Amino acid sequence: MSTENEFDCCIVGSGAGAGPVAYELSKAGYRVLVLEKGKWYKEQDFKKDEQLYRHNIFRSKLKDERHVLEEPDDDGWSEDTTAQFWGGNIVGGASNFMSGYFHRLKPEDFRLVSTFGKIEGANTVDWPISYEDLEPYYTKAEQVIGISGKIVEHPFLEPRSTPDYPLPPTAEHPIASWFDKTCNDMGLHPLPMARGILSRPFNNRRSCEYSGYCGSYGCASGAKASSRAALLDSAVATGHCEIRTESKAYRLNSDASGKVVSADYYDKEGNSKSVNANIFVVACYSIESARLLLSSPGEKHKNGLGNNHDQVGKNLHCCAGGTGHGIFDFSQFSEQQVEQLMVRGPFFNRALQDWYFIDDKEVFGKRIKGGTIDFVFDPPSPAADANSQKWQGDNLLWGTPLKQKIKSFFTQSKDFKFEVFCDWLTNDDCYVSLDPDEKDKWGTPVARVKVGTHPHDLKVGSYIVEKGKEVMKNLGAKTVTGSAFTSPTSNLVAGGLRFGNDPKTSALDADCRVHGSENCFVTDGSFMPNGGSVTPTFTIYANSFRVADKIKQQIASS
Amino acid sequence: MLKSGNTISYRSNDRDQGPGKKGSNKPLKISPLASGLNRRAFLKQSSAAVLVASIAACKPNIDSSQYESNLESKPPSPSVTSQQFELSDHQKQTIEQVQIKLFPDDGDGPSAKQLNALAYLQWALTDPDNAADGDGEFVVKGIGWLDGLSQQTQGDQFIKLDSQQQDKILSQISQSSAGENWLSLLIYYLIEALTLDPIYGGNPEQIGWQWLKHQPGFPRPTEATTYRNFY
Repeated sequence: MSTENEFDCCIVGSGAGAGPVAYELSKAGYRVLVLEKGKWYKEQDFKKDEQLYRHNIFRSKLKDERHVLEEPDDDGWSEDTTAQFWGGNIVGGASNFMSGYFHRLKPEDFRLVSTFGKIEGANTVDWPISYEDLEPYYTKAEQVIGISGKIVEHPFLEPRSTPDYPLPPTAEHPIASWFDKTCNDMGLHPLPMARGILSRPFNNRRSCEYSGYCGSYGCASGAKASSRAALLDSAVATGHCEIRTESKAYRLNSDASGKVVSADYYDKEGNSKSVNANIFVVACYSIESARLLLSSPGEKHKNGLGNNHDQVGKNLHCCAGGTGHGIFDFSQFSEQQVEQLMVRGPFFNRALQDWYFIDDKEVFGKRIKGGTIDFVFDPPSPAADANSQKWQGDNLLWGTPLKQKIKSFFTQSKDFKFEVFCDWLTNDDCYVSLDPDEKDKWGTPVARVKVGTHPHDLKVGSYIVEKGKEVMKNLGAKTVTGSAFTSPTSNLVAGGLRFGNDPKTSALDADCRVHGSENCFVTDGSFMPNGGSVTPTFTIYANSFRVADKIKQQIASS
Repeated sequence: MLKSGNTISYRSNDRDQGPGKKGSNKPLKISPLASGLNRRAFLKQSSAAVLVASIAACKPNIDSSQYESNLESKPPSPSVTSQQFELSDHQKQTIEQVQIKLFPDDGDGPSAKQLNALAYLQWALTDPDNAADGDGEFVVKGIGWLDGLSQQTQGDQFIKLDSQQQDKILSQISQSSAGENWLSLLIYYLIEALTLDPIYGGNPEQIGWQWLKHQPGFPRPTEATTYRNFY
């Protein structure tokens, strides 16, 4: 590890929000330091081993780091400490373990209030930028990190400056054609899903090898567009980017003008160190970025960096929606069809956006924002799957009945899943603060996360879940279940430091600069006023490329 | 939200991911602090005072070759620190007999013995996380409670009972939440021996995967790259 402590840019975190900035600035010749709390694992470390997941090898441990979670319950608010919100304690962060379903947001997502009107009890705002401002960066992200897919016309296709994705789709599961036929018969528009996964070798990364172990598992070929594989490796290769691992940033120090001058961090041995830079970028996951700012008071920032209007940590969102399952009983199908259902490796890759906007006045009274349904096979987790079979109702099974239930689960049916993604409406009861009592292993206050929901989310989620169930039934599933979520989706959290033009209602300006601190930017999902009705990672990448341009302009003009 | 059973505490809302939704399926119990309560619950049908079996600290190290269990497939020997954990001969025999009840040789699929379930369990209990969960202590205490109940109701240790008597005892203990948790924990590790990579000592020659027609991913872990090499 170098002991240098003067950089052009210091980035806290190394996930999807950090990678594009590190990549762009180091390519431009600026000296970049990335402070990452976790270790640096490479492709050869990512075996397809369920034990890595079961033992949280790449994630923070509850005993070391935790969050205090407040959730609504029948008696008001429940309170618990949890490690559920940690995505990846590792260089590249949670992007190492994503499935890489890469949908863009749509123009209306940038102006929900203008398009659909205000919803009582929700804090929704229009974005300070438009889809057109971000579109070039979606395109750039597609081309730099290598996104595979195929554009098909559909009613809600977002405008594009390029005709298609740079890489062809990944190999397709044989039953995708069943799905397409069923949906077409229903008058729906089945979409091939774009993936942050290489279908061909690209920039020294191997193509996908189709092991069938993708989401939740690290990628052994480099095909998955993690921040580490797709961006940081290239950034380091420039010779201008250093990744300092096991380095936990805990405070940003600002001067009398409000600018950040240094970052304090704990090194591997737990010693406090400091690093100076001209530009600071915070990108350590929504909850943690707000926590870092709240932990960084200064002369001009008495209540935490950028928090003079009490906006830091506010308007967190956790992706509403729901999920459902269709169980396909093999007794209903021919031998050849069963063979097709059992294929493991190629991706299913289908989504429906027919209800991205819902025009059902009988139910909602007016046109509203809806969501996306992704249809997926869960990545295999045989130990967890088999263990989930040991209960029959409330009774524990053992002996031959247990064996037969496990065998039947694995060999007589196929579980096909759909996931519904909707906006989680921001509201006054969903925010991050510092816990007054609980500390992490370094002795610093942990984040307290309150996750109040808006009843509208459940209504929209339930509506779309029912649509997903109809599709499953028409596909031939014997058993169909589904429900909308009433609690947060712990791996799709965003917001908490939303951007905007008014410091009284936002934490960042339109360039994602912390209000009142001209050289400090936030580039993870914290900036998003709403999440869109898709997974946010692609938008985080695109926005981080956009902010990288702003930073380069700022450095060049100073 | 799906729940995998009434004792699972894991949130199932991880989307765009996989195994996370099901968590580890380990039964809630079992903190050493709670085990006193568990013991009372376990024995709620019994008024007998039963001494809790002491943890293996005073037990001799048993050479595995002295014990008739399938150990052809040896668990990896990670270079990292493992927690010490040893079962006595009696404890091993008891666990092995319980395991064969839980996963019998019934002509369809591997039995607990064929899965090396006992050897796997002993290795798994040396895992620092599992040790921190108090699993080894709970397993040992459960053996004591099982024998206590056997003595009280059938007049002998569990391993001395005939098959029908053993079934009766297992059925009886499953009526209490602590007893059910104990069996659930043994099943948890038994299923790991059925479904994890053979590198961990169970599932010899992929016997479990073949029965379940499970196709493993690749690359698979090697002796140098098991999860314990990351500790």
